[in-house]
Amino acid sequence: MRRRARRLTLAFASAASLLVESLSDRAVARAEPEASAPPPAQTVLPPKLRSAPDVPYPEGARGDARVVLTIEVRADGTVRSATPAEPNEPFSSHASRAAQDFVFEPATRGGRPVAAKIRFELRFTEPAPPEPAEDPPTTDGAVAASPSDGAAGSPGAPATKADSKEPIEVIVTGVRPELSRTASLTRAEVREIPGTFGDPFRAVEALPGVTPIVSGLPFFFVRGAPPGNVGYFLDGVRVPLLFHVGAGPSVVNPALIDRVDFYPAGYPARFGRFAGGVVAGETLPPVPELHGEYNVRVFDAGAMVEAPFLDGEGTAMLGGRYSYTGFLLTALSSTTKLDYWDYQGRVSYELGPRDRVELFSFGSYDYVGERTPTEDLTLFGTEFHRLDLRYDHRFVGRGKLRSAFTLGLDRSRVQQQDRKVRARLAGARNELEYRLSDTALFRAGTDLTLETYDIELGANDLAPSAARIAESYPSRTDTTLGLRGDFVLRVTPRFDVTPGVRVDLYGSDGATALAVDPRVSWRAQASKRAAVLGLFGVAHQPPSFVVPLPGFQPGGLPGGLQRALQGSLGIELELGGGMTATATVFQNAFFSMSDPLGSSAPLPMGCQPGTYPGDSIGGDLGEQPDEPTPCGERFPPGTLGPDRSGGGGQAADSRGGRRVGEAFEVRTLGSGRGIELFFKRRLTERLGGFASYTFSRSTRSYERRSYPAAFDRTHVANAAVAYDLGRGFRAGLRGMFYTGVPKAPDPTDPESTRLPAFFRLDARFEKRFRLSPRSHLSLVAEWMNATLSEEAITTTCTLSGCEAEMIGPVTIPSVGVEGAF
Amino acid sequence: MARGSRFTVAAPLLLLLAACGSDVGEAPTSPPCDDECRDRVALRAVREMTKLAYNLLLQGNPVGMQAEAAPCPLGGAVVIFGEASSNAEQGATVVDLSYGFDGCTHLEVDDEPDETYRMTLTGFMTQQGTLAAQPSATTALVMQSPSMTMSGTVYDPPLAYGEDGCTLELGQNGNDLSGLMCGREVGVDLGGPPN
Repeated sequence: MRRRARRLTLAFASAASLLVESLSDRAVARAEPEASAPPPAQTVLPPKLRSAPDVPYPEGARGDARVVLTIEVRADGTVRSATPAEPNEPFSSHASRAAQDFVFEPATRGGRPVAAKIRFELRFTEPAPPEPAEDPPTTDGAVAASPSDGAAGSPGAPATKADSKEPIEVIVTGVRPELSRTASLTRAEVREIPGTFGDPFRAVEALPGVTPIVSGLPFFFVRGAPPGNVGYFLDGVRVPLLFHVGAGPSVVNPALIDRVDFYPAGYPARFGRFAGGVVAGETLPPVPELHGEYNVRVFDAGAMVEAPFLDGEGTAMLGGRYSYTGFLLTALSSTTKLDYWDYQGRVSYELGPRDRVELFSFGSYDYVGERTPTEDLTLFGTEFHRLDLRYDHRFVGRGKLRSAFTLGLDRSRVQQQDRKVRARLAGARNELEYRLSDTALFRAGTDLTLETYDIELGANDLAPSAARIAESYPSRTDTTLGLRGDFVLRVTPRFDVTPGVRVDLYGSDGATALAVDPRVSWRAQASKRAAVLGLFGVAHQPPSFVVPLPGFQPGGLPGGLQRALQGSLGIELELGGGMTATATVFQNAFFSMSDPLGSSAPLPMGCQPGTYPGDSIGGDLGEQPDEPTPCGERFPPGTLGPDRSGGGGQAADSRGGRRVGEAFEVRTLGSGRGIELFFKRRLTERLGGFASYTFSRSTRSYERRSYPAAFDRTHVANAAVAYDLGRGFRAGLRGMFYTGVPKAPDPTDPESTRLPAFFRLDARFEKRFRLSPRSHLSLVAEWMNATLSEEAITTTCTLSGCEAEMIGPVTIPSVGVEGAF
Repeated sequence: MARGSRFTVAAPLLLLLAACGSDVGEAPTSPPCDDECRDRVALRAVREMTKLAYNLLLQGNPVGMQAEAAPCPLGGAVVIFGEASSNAEQGATVVDLSYGFDGCTHLEVDDEPDETYRMTLTGFMTQQGTLAAQPSATTALVMQSPSMTMSGTVYDPPLAYGEDGCTLELGQNGNDLSGLMCGREVGVDLGGPPN
């Protein structure tokens, strides 16, 4: 059967220049009986590829690419390491990872198998769109070369071709593994997006379906779901805080990130316990070769370096970032204290040809404080640490199994030392991926997590509304058990489907809840250039805090689990010339939603025009006939009000405080629906860019009232363009526009229902110096919000009228040096 | 209410530049605090501790007769009894209350040295007049105690403070709190928005 429709094409010219270096020369020499005599000439035969590689064309990539790998082949024919000769993302990382599963006939010296190092070239050819009219069930040359029947894996084929230096073409049956992924951002592409500072996690804000809270603040709504319902993962480990204080960078050094996948809905069963969306980062695989990256910017510096040990059997990586903004601020200012840093470390060791053990650690620290003559007052401080011990087993050509054990520590402090949260975590997980056939991949996993919370919020001197919130955060131990599985199936050459389910059992402070989340996503190739994609999923989540913060997880499952029903239908078009476009219609429904940010109907700050604060003199309204009226009750009638008569608050409640307290307790119904458009040309092309647009409506319903969510934005648009000016110069621009949030009723402007829209322009300019084939140095100037745009966040009213309250400009100019070796 | 409707969320670089204008290089130092200064901080402590006790025990209660008791945040206890009524629209509460402190201890740490204290109170105090639900609103209070024992530290850096059997005759008009404390005239502007 001809399988062109859904296959991705990989052409590789194997061993275009084949250099065999015996890695066991000394051992062989010792085996020689007469050391003084010249060794007899021994025939050295290079390794030959035995099993054809199953290398799908990289997700999100465009165009053709050539990757030269240096592959160390063990004496048993398995791959010890695969190192790209030079970076060409996403192809080089993709090729390096895939090559781990190659199997060779080992090199031989004098007929004995020996370890060897070869140069191996892979050529990625952008998959040609399928031809719908043709689908003959006959076998042709391409199929004969497919790995499933072993023809392409016939020993010697690559080596033979190496001599001729002509690539042979192999059709590989790479099923698209993640159908629900909206986008996969590689480091190389993100580097070109102005305003992200090369940070793949920050680039998520530019994707369709993402609605920012405030420009530059890296918390966002996803298809109507609030920031607290969006989960962040790194290598499958949940990350409790993804971004440093304020508009800071992500807590993971970008140099360590291979790619970031964004799942706005119907995510793979691997991801759960979040009802709004998943942002998943994957780290680069260990590379047994000295390499690294570094950057020095105006506000921070970071570096990552990895080196082999024990003759390449193991690798050690160390990375991190330190913001000297805090140091300088502390040195310059008498009162402000600001600090943040993060670290990453990884040690991996090859136990054998198919087994690897790895210890991965990462963490971050943030502190904002105020200095007094005798001590530092903590305004906000948080830190987290994760230690993940993994054992990986590869089923060569079939899949992999990972067993991992995770330890974690989260700590947060708010306002003075007596309000603090500490969470200790221990978890274990197993992850299996097994290819049942060329058209079926099975994935399954289990995980168990124990989290012990020690919480001191000083509830005995909190205002009543704050004390009620604090009651939702008791000290306790939470237990979560998860089981999941899905199949990635190619039903026909034109139809892929991924059905799956995950089951989670939650236990917290005596309460338990069971969640069953079925999910299915599919893709049908409708024509040569068009595919239709759809998904439906159920997602559950325990009650959540406003935004993800270490240790801030409500206990006792108050109000039960949040539940989301997620569905979408879309079209993907291949436009040619490396361009793609997608259009997606989505509909999400949320039940029992905890969304303190979005659940409150918009209310003006202050009093409506024509009214006056009840605790002040009303004022002379001139010729207006009506008597001015007080603008509202300061506390519930018939009760005693708070004492706020001068000085500090001292546990006094307020209208605002009560409103916040109620927002934390309210569980609402919600919905998000809309259309997403995405156009992209790979940013690493000479002229690349993307445009994303989301037209959506997000609502909340509470007590039979339905209203737009507080951060509903009708239109959100992003557009970026990057151009290679030649001679190492590259420039980029990015524009961002979105509608203002819903506005409280304004009698002075009844036609206006929303705050003013926002637009900002980001710019990036780079000059790259190529120092060697594997190293470069770049001078980078980047400016987020170069237009110095301010943003309206609420409406403030006085007796005479209402006006938008502006913040900003939130702007980050940066000049720095980046490099890699 | 006009609130100075714009403020800048500075980026790190701009923060750096802005910070250049402030005191450079060293942690802030406090001016000397004499006896009068100590009394002012102690007076603030007494007022804020009665406010804390009221807010922890009475705010939100139905109007009418009151009788409540509770432990203090850092030890000791407080009782409040008496009568109170309110006008929710005007944001005012009329009180005729008695406070009993028994080793009641409270710590207040602030970036302002003269708003920092750790104080323990023992004794009774009466409070009559009008409390405001907003700091800007009318406050008219009379507070008296025949014997109040105060001990602890005031100011930052902390200075020891102690008075036994101290009489209090205090009045608060808006943010101005003044009167006689241990026979000495003392006054403080409570000012500023609440925490």
